[in-house]
This record gives sequence, C-alpha cells and structure tokens, in this order.
Amino acid sequence: MKRSAVLLALALMAAAPAAFASSFAGTSAGSSAGGSSASSGASSDSSSGKDDKVVQAAREDAASFVASNGAIRGAQLEAALRHLREQLPQAREASDLELAQAILAQ
Amino acid sequence: MNGRRGRIRGGLAWLVLAACAWSTGAVAAMKFDPAGLSPDERIATQRLLDDAQSHLPPRMAALAERDIAVRWSPLAADVHGHAGRSELLLNRDLLAPLIEGGDAARRAALATVLHELAHYHDRAEHLSRDPRFLDLAGWQVRATRFNTRMAGRMRENRFVDRSPDTYELTRPSEYFAVNVEHYLLDPQYACRRPALHRYLEEHLGATARSAPCADDVVYVDAGEGDGGALRSIDPARVYAIDYLLAEGNAQPMSRWGHSMLRLVVCAPGRTPGPDCRLDLSHHRVLSFRAFVDDVQISSWSGLSGRYPSRLFVLPMEQVIDEYTKVELRGLRSVPLRLSHEEIAAVLERTAQLHWSYDGRYYFLGNNCAAETWKLLHDSVPRLAGQGIGSITPTGLLRRLENAGVADGSVLGDGDEALRMGYRFESQGAYFDQLYATAKTSLFLPYRTVTQWMDLTPAQRRPWIERADLRTSAALLLLEQAAQRRALAQVRDALKRRYLASSRDEGDAPDVVRRLLKESAYLGQPSRLIDGGYGIPQADERAALQARSATLQSDLQTTRAELEQGAREWMGPQQRARLDGIVANSELLGTRLRALHAEQGGLRLP
Repeated sequence: MKRSAVLLALALMAAAPAAFASSFAGTSAGSSAGGSSASSGASSDSSSGKDDKVVQAAREDAASFVASNGAIRGAQLEAALRHLREQLPQAREASDLELAQAILAQ
Repeated sequence: MNGRRGRIRGGLAWLVLAACAWSTGAVAAMKFDPAGLSPDERIATQRLLDDAQSHLPPRMAALAERDIAVRWSPLAADVHGHAGRSELLLNRDLLAPLIEGGDAARRAALATVLHELAHYHDRAEHLSRDPRFLDLAGWQVRATRFNTRMAGRMRENRFVDRSPDTYELTRPSEYFAVNVEHYLLDPQYACRRPALHRYLEEHLGATARSAPCADDVVYVDAGEGDGGALRSIDPARVYAIDYLLAEGNAQPMSRWGHSMLRLVVCAPGRTPGPDCRLDLSHHRVLSFRAFVDDVQISSWSGLSGRYPSRLFVLPMEQVIDEYTKVELRGLRSVPLRLSHEEIAAVLERTAQLHWSYDGRYYFLGNNCAAETWKLLHDSVPRLAGQGIGSITPTGLLRRLENAGVADGSVLGDGDEALRMGYRFESQGAYFDQLYATAKTSLFLPYRTVTQWMDLTPAQRRPWIERADLRTSAALLLLEQAAQRRALAQVRDALKRRYLASSRDEGDAPDVVRRLLKESAYLGQPSRLIDGGYGIPQADERAALQARSATLQSDLQTTRAELEQGAREWMGPQQRARLDGIVANSELLGTRLRALHAEQGGLRLP
C-alpha cells in the first residue's frame, strides 16, 4: 500500500477499469505524470537517471524481458531503450538485455 | 439576453410561402410602421434596424431582400421577439431601455432582431435540419447499423454545460437562431464554438468580427498523478489517433471490451512522425465512462443502470497499467487513417464534449462504443455517410476496418505489434511462463502459478532469497501481481462497506464520498468555472488554473487519507499479506541490484 489512488476505481467502476498504482520494489511504476505541452518543466524526459519517467515506466517490461530472456518485448521497454540510447553514450554500446537489466536494477 | 426569444408558430404553410416570397430577389429591407411611435422611438427603431442590417453576413443579407414588417408589440415577459408569418414582432418592453441608450439594452434588442432574422433565413434554407448542423449542435445520431443520416437521431441535446443560452437546447431551430446571434455579435464565438463558427461562415458568409484563438485544446486531466490539473494538447503535436480497444474478460461489465481513442502526442522537440509512437508518456487516451456518483451508487445494480456518460482524458501509461496489469486485459491500438485536418477536428470535438457534454449512459444503447463512434462521426464528416456505428467495441473496430478507416494490418506481426505498442498484452498471459522459469530454476514444489500466488508472502520468501537474476525478475512480476490481486480484494471489501453504510458519517465511506465528489469534476470540468460558454477563453482559463490546482491538491489529500484509512479498515490478515508482499518486493529489488552489481552490469547514472 505504498501508493495512493487505491479507490479512484470506485468513482469510475461502472464500466471502467480500476485505477491502481503499483509498488514496484519500493518505487512507483504506475505513476505517469504526463508532460503534455502545458505541463511545467517538471518532465524529466531529457534526463536518464533514477527519476526518469520513461525508464521508470519500463521497469515491469524490463522484468518481463529479463525473465523471458528477451522473448517478451513490450513497447514501454522499447521506448526506454530508445530513450537511453538517445541520452547516454554508454547505452549505445550495450545490448538490449544489458540495458533491460540496468533498468531493472535501478 | 436570458429571456426566451423567437417562438415559432405557423408551420409548413409558412415555410412554403416564405420560400416563394424570398425567391423574388427584389432589393428591400426591414420596414417598420411608425404609427403610434414618438419621434424618439422612431429614431431608435430605425437605428436598431440599420444596426441589425449592418451586422448581417452576405448570404443572410441576400435572403433578407424582401420586406419584413417590424412591429413593437406587447409580448410575454420571457419572449423578446417573434418571427411571425407576416411580421417580426419585438417585445415593446425593450423599447424604453433602447431609447435610454444603454449598451446592454441595445445589445438585447439587436440580438433579438438578429435571432428572428435567423429564423426567417432558416425557414428558407432549412439549415437547422441539415444533418451536419445537427451533428455539430448535438442532436446526435444513434450508433446503430440501421440509421441513415436523418433518421435515428437522439431526441435530446445533451451538450448542456457551458451553453450561452439554454433556450438553444429546446429545438434545432432555436439552436440555430441563438448561435447566429452569437456568431454575429460575439468576436469570441470562433474560439468558443469553432466548428459551428466554420459551419455558419460557410452557409451564411463571413463576419468581420473574430478574435484570434488559442491553438491548443485545454482539458482537465483525469489521471492518478495529475488528476485535476489543467493541461492542454496542441493538435500540431498529435501525430495520429488510434482506436484503442480493451479486450473483454469474464466480468459482466467487461465482456464486450471497452472502446477508447488514443492520441499519439509527440514528445517536445520531436518532429511529428512514426517515432512519436514510442513517446508513450505523452500519449493521452479519450475514454467515455459511466460516472457513478454518490447519489446513484446506492442503486447500482448491474447492467440496466443509467448513469451520466462523460469523457475523461487519461494518460496512456495509466491506461496500460489499469488494463494489462490490474484487470489483466489486453489492449489493441489500431491506427485510424485520418488527415491532419481530421485529427485537429477530432480534438476540437473532444474539447466541445469535455466542456459541454453530459450524456446518458445506457449499456445497450449509448455505451462507450456508441460514444466513441459518435465522436468520430461528428468530427469527420466523411465518416458520417458510412454507417459504421456499432454498439459493441469489437464490432466498431471491425466496421472501422471494413470501411478502410482503421488499419488492422499493424497487428499482423504479433511480436512487432507488441514492440511498437499496437498491442499491449495482458500480464496474465505471461504468468504461466514466468512461473515455469522460476519453477525450473528453483525446483519449486508447487505445480501451478495459482498455487504459488496463493501462498503467504512468508512462505514464498525462502525461495526468493535463493533466486538468481533472471528468476528474481520473474518472481518480482508475480509478487506485483499478487499485490494487485490483494489490493483488488481490499477495494471490493471497501466498496461493500461503503454501499452498506452509506449513511454512516465519519467512517470510511465519508472519505470515499469525498473522493467521488472530487472525481466528478474530472469528467465534468465545466463545474469548475462560472461564466462564459463553449471552450474556455483566456480569462476563464486563468480562473480555471487556480481552481484546478486546488482540485488537484484536494484529490491528492483525499487519496492519501483513503489509503491511510484503508490500512486501518482492512483486517489484520489482509494487512499482513500486503506488508509481506511489499517486503518480498523490496527484497527482490535489493537482490536484483546486488546480482546486477556482482555481474558488473551497466549502471544508469
């Protein structure tokens, strides 16, 4: 119960999916504060550290990729791989699996 | 301006007469009978009519080339004017204030004359019966395969919020006349009702009075993190719109799936193009949901319910999580073949819905598929003739594909579809595979993944302590799944408790009730502002900014309280289970980091 919004679902339950945040090894994978054009400069798209939203959102995809030895390859991982390679020179040398492990080990 | 104007009597006989009379093409204008009027009253009346004449757009002026007799007349207090068969009557009560010369009085009288002239124009041209006009105004088609463009429309206009004058909702002819008034008199009309402005411009001719409009579409975010925040989307940054289908599952409410639209918004700095498809954190989802508020929840009884149907704008990543991880349903995201102008039109209509629409949800008549179809239908006229409405989400997708609008070929290569985000698989599809990995590696004695997840967290822990990196990744995903399942049980328990004790103040339900109230704004953001109509303009946006910031922080507080409360309301066993899962997840996280470091793996800064 680390993350909130357990019960927005109640408000939207008739034909709607539940809204849950997920607690992913103590960090948040479910939160996706969006950087739309009006949002303030809080978006961390250009960073690639621990607070990087694109990388954080890819943690479960990265886990699936690592657990399946590369067989399960979701779009959120794909987005994070591209993002890391755009931002980090050392990421360009690394394999997909190495990067997925690095995302998972954050 | 609030009074009712322009009652129409006369019917068909008058329509025929009018059409004949107006075809003569003689140059003429409005005439009034000066008898019984003082010199001041005559001057004021002539000035009013000249003023009205000068406001007429080209095609209305051309049609008005016929004598229309104008007369001041005692009318009911709520009737400003009347477009009668032989003469245009104006309420005599408007005359004295007009002579006094106040701006408001002048405007009220002018609006009345223009409103009535619009009725005469409409009777000749039948614009208020034009299907496209009805689409834009909000007398929507019913989404079934049988309707034509004329038959099968909703009897009711549910675009009830932020109306300039709710009299427009009484019938299409009044909607036309009210909107002509605003089209001719309000320089902001083009920004507040852009699609109708274009329609009227096309059919009546241009007016000189238009303020510059903001390019972006403003909305209130319904997401978890940013719920309540005022956000905007620039249509130029939207590369594509996909039909987003959540596949069905065994739940009665979910069997048919859920229809949504996905806006493929490009990350700042990226040139719109296929690369935007992976800018997932910027994508938004338009989702019609039946909103159940605290009053109606007590009568919540399954499929036959009747709730408000509202449009929510959600972050794509949250939608992915909700469906594939919480509900264990797959998502299909099928691109729609829309031009850039059509994408902009869908966004424009989205704004109109978001700020004005308060629909009624019928599971079998006006559900998410019908609403999504109507949004496309009303935005993009070329889709209107194709009769591809459907009342089921999968049915609608099939029809969109058959009509060549949706490009289902992206799903052909399964792996590629997953990689590029045309498909998001239910996590449940992988549980067996993940468990098999762990079972082989650790020689787990439990036969199935269900048995594994039914263990207490403490029973799973000794195995977790021995897992290698790959197995830890698998077990972490299963631990997450166990957590979501446990949370769903908590939620169900709390829901039952709320329904059972809805009158019990100061208990869990009070927080729930507060959350419901606050969440209601997310689908009906017009309740956050007073004044203005249509799409909020600059000063309203400034006021909204403040209100939405308050709402956002209220929602965060309420959710935190609810979470805190939920911990106390759940039983000790449930609490121990959840705490055990969190501890296991943390242990797995620690192990993953340690094993990764041992291997000398790449470290992200």
